[in-house]
Amino acid sequence: MIALLLIGFGMVALIQIPGLVRKQWWRELSFFMVLWFMGLILSVMVSIGITLPPISSIINKSLTGILGL
Amino acid sequence: MALEKGRISNFQLSVLIIGFVFGSSVIISPGGKGAGHDAWIACAIGLMEGLLIAWIFTALTKQFKDKTIMEINSLVYGKILGKGISLLFIWYLFHLSALVLTNYTHFFKLQIYPATPNTVTLLLLILVCASTVGRGIEVLARLSIILVPIIILVVFSDTLLLIPHIDFNNLMPVLDVPSGKLLLASHGAASFPFAETVAFLMVLAFVDKPEKAPSAVFGGLLIVGFMLIMAVARNAAVLGPMAEITIYPTYLAAQVIDIGDILTRLQVLVAISLITMGFIKITVLLYGTVLGLAQVFNLHSYRPIILPVGILMVIFALTNVGNTQEMVDFAEQGYPFYAIPFQIGIPLITLVVAKLRKLPQTGGDQV
Repeated sequence: MIALLLIGFGMVALIQIPGLVRKQWWRELSFFMVLWFMGLILSVMVSIGITLPPISSIINKSLTGILGL
Repeated sequence: MALEKGRISNFQLSVLIIGFVFGSSVIISPGGKGAGHDAWIACAIGLMEGLLIAWIFTALTKQFKDKTIMEINSLVYGKILGKGISLLFIWYLFHLSALVLTNYTHFFKLQIYPATPNTVTLLLLILVCASTVGRGIEVLARLSIILVPIIILVVFSDTLLLIPHIDFNNLMPVLDVPSGKLLLASHGAASFPFAETVAFLMVLAFVDKPEKAPSAVFGGLLIVGFMLIMAVARNAAVLGPMAEITIYPTYLAAQVIDIGDILTRLQVLVAISLITMGFIKITVLLYGTVLGLAQVFNLHSYRPIILPVGILMVIFALTNVGNTQEMVDFAEQGYPFYAIPFQIGIPLITLVVAKLRKLPQTGGDQV
C-alpha cells in the first residue's frame, strides 16, 4: 500500500516539478512541495491505520454542546 | 498577471448554479430532517433565505466588478487582515468540498459499490475534477450546459413515473410541525444547499456581463429551488414517514418505480445524477480553493497546486467523520450554524465595511 502511495505521489511530483523549475517559479514550487509533503505524510498515516481526528464530528460535538442542541 | 483568463456567460452561470445546488442535494432532501411531511415548506422557506444571502453576495460583486472575494477582502480590510479572512473562506470551500466527497463516498459504499474501497471512488472522482479545474472555468461551464439539462430531465421523469405511487394524504396535515422546528429545518435547507452558492464569490468575477450576474444567480436558484421543492414533496408523498427516516429518500423513491415490470430499477438514474452533479459541485469548490490560495499567496498560476489540494481533500473526506451517522448528525445539527459565518458573516460584514469606507474608490486605491 505504501509502495503504491509513493509511486502515486512520485508521479504527481514528476508531472509538476520539471515545469515549475523550467519556469523558475520558485514560490509555486515551494508551495507545491509543502502541500505535496502534507498530502504524503497524511496519506501514509491513514494507510498504516493511524486514525486522524474526525474534524467535522469534533465541530459538531462542540457546536451542539455550546448551542445546547 | 490574470490567474483566470476564461469568461462565462450569464446563462452558463445560471446553469452552473443549478448543477452546483443539485450537487449532493439530488439524493439528500434539503430540510428533510426535522420538518417531517412539511419538509417541502421548509425547503421553500430555505430557498427564500438562500435568495436573501445571494442578494448580499451579488451586491458585493456588483460593487467590486471583476474581483473575487480574495481581492475584495484585501481591498476592504487591508493586506494582512484581508488575507486572514480570505484563508477562512478558503477553509470553508475546502471543508465543504470534502463534505460533498464524504456524502458521495458514503452513498456509493452503502448503495452501489459496497466492496469497492472508498479511496478508489474518491481518487477517480477527484482526478476528473482536477483535470477540469486545470482547464479553467470556461470548460466547466460548457460541461454543465451538457450535463445539467439531462439531470433536469431525469428529475422530471422520476416525478412523472412516480405519479401512480403518490399519496397526498402523506403530506397532510399541512403546517403540522411546530413553527420553531420548521424554521430550524428551513435554515438547514438554506445552509445546505442554497446558501452554499456563496462559493460563487470565486466565480462571479469571470462573468462576461457582470451587471446581469445577480439576475443569473437568482434565476438559477429559483429554477433549482422549484425542482428541489418538487422532489422533496414527491419523496414525502411517495414514502410517507420513511422520507424522514432514510438518508437517501430520492434513491429510495426511485426504487418504487415499476411500470409494467419493464421500467424498473431506475434508481441508477439517481446515482448518475449524483455522479454528474456532485462532480460539478466538487469542481467549483476545488476551483475556488486553488484559485483562492493562488491569489492569497501571489502565485503565477493555480494549476501546480490542483493535484496536491485534491489529494488533501480526499484524505480529509476519508477522515472528517467517523461514520455515516456522524455525517448525517453534522449535516442536520452542527452544519447550519457552522456555515453562518462563511455564508452570511463574511459577505455581509465585507459589504457593510465597503459601504462605510466608500469602496471601491475611483482614484488610486483601486487594485
